[in-house]
Amino acid sequence: MIFLLLIYAYIFIINVPGLIKRKEWKELAAFSFLFVIAFALGIMYVLDIPIPSPMKGLQHFFVDILGIEYPK
Amino acid sequence: MSIEKGKISCQQLLFLFAGFIEGSALLIDFTVGITEHQTWMVILAGLIISTPVILSYAVLAKKFPGMNLVQINDMVYGRFLGKIISIYYIFFFSMTLSFNIRDVGELYITFLMQDTPFIFFLIVFTVTCAYAVIKGIEVLTRISHLILVIGLFAVISTFILLIDQMDFSNFLPFFELPFIKIFQGIHIVSMIPFGETVVFLMIMGCLNKSEHAVKNTFFGLLIGAASLLIVAVRNTAVLGKTQTIWTSASFQAIRLINIGTVLTRMDFLIGIALTILMFFKCSIFLYVMVVAVSQLFGLKTYEPLVLPLAAIEVIIAATVFQSPVDHAMITQNAGIIYSAPLVFVIPPLSLLIAKIRGLPKLERGKET
Repeated sequence: MIFLLLIYAYIFIINVPGLIKRKEWKELAAFSFLFVIAFALGIMYVLDIPIPSPMKGLQHFFVDILGIEYPK
Repeated sequence: MSIEKGKISCQQLLFLFAGFIEGSALLIDFTVGITEHQTWMVILAGLIISTPVILSYAVLAKKFPGMNLVQINDMVYGRFLGKIISIYYIFFFSMTLSFNIRDVGELYITFLMQDTPFIFFLIVFTVTCAYAVIKGIEVLTRISHLILVIGLFAVISTFILLIDQMDFSNFLPFFELPFIKIFQGIHIVSMIPFGETVVFLMIMGCLNKSEHAVKNTFFGLLIGAASLLIVAVRNTAVLGKTQTIWTSASFQAIRLINIGTVLTRMDFLIGIALTILMFFKCSIFLYVMVVAVSQLFGLKTYEPLVLPLAAIEVIIAATVFQSPVDHAMITQNAGIIYSAPLVFVIPPLSLLIAKIRGLPKLERGKET
């Protein structure tokens, strides 16, 4: 957990001051949006909270709902 | 306005293409489980089917000079539909990158360093790729010829060192498998090593001169395909029917190298070569994804997004599949089905629409 927080703190520190200094607000907004997602996923991973797999969802959609699958 | 200011030459495009396809040498194992000793045929068939489509990428990039895929989508399909298609592409880049990062982790955890935590490999590898991406496309292209040489050296040297253990009767009988298996194999090969080259639509806009883009794309594709073919022939000739039972047939074949009990345990060296190739491929994928997201958000620079996106990719790579078996099973079905329109339908369709609508000249005419 501490390791994770250090990594995210590092990512934050090396990006945000520069963006604020250069007044790149759009870039800062995009960075913050992705940073929050990355941080939330990181916390979920460390706390062993199940993260839904997009590929499992696609497999379910194609195989179980549409019935598209190669025979085994 | 394009985000990337760096420029690459047509010759560098050739190296990029060949090195990128060589980076998939590990991934032909997805096909091996299905097409067994006929994998070499499937690679050839996949190459023949994919070549016109991949060349259409180069023609499309030539038609829209200085523009990347997101910009082309916006121009061809309009702002709304273009953005939706671009998001679909970003999802594809993100998923494929996470699979490739996971492949490196699985390679290390299975064959090289079994006691090290899986997440450690994913973090170290992705951070290295992120570092390369921050340096820009020019730096990646500058090392592309070196990557290609390392890849070719690994493939050719292992082939030569294993010649004494090859049994070419392993290729018989021909045409034994049912058609559906061959079809699935061709689908996998045309999607995974060859179809993934759709990422170059995000890079070809950086070409300084696009006259020889089609020719160099073709030769890059041929060099990459030849490497994959050598790997498939080597694995089948050395391992025979047993190649289907290993997690990584390539690695198992290389482990058998034994020249006078002096040249043994070559797997570590080849593991390093494969890591370098995968690093190159993943760096291109990460670069393309970061540029696509930045272009979608309309940013001036992509650098601030590299590390957050790399962090997301690490977590996706760690959690997307439960095991290598799960990985193979989903990739052989949903993985190749959902990405087929992105590789085989949308780029040729964009080219057709652009021709019919007279793009991009008409748009330029409107601007002036």
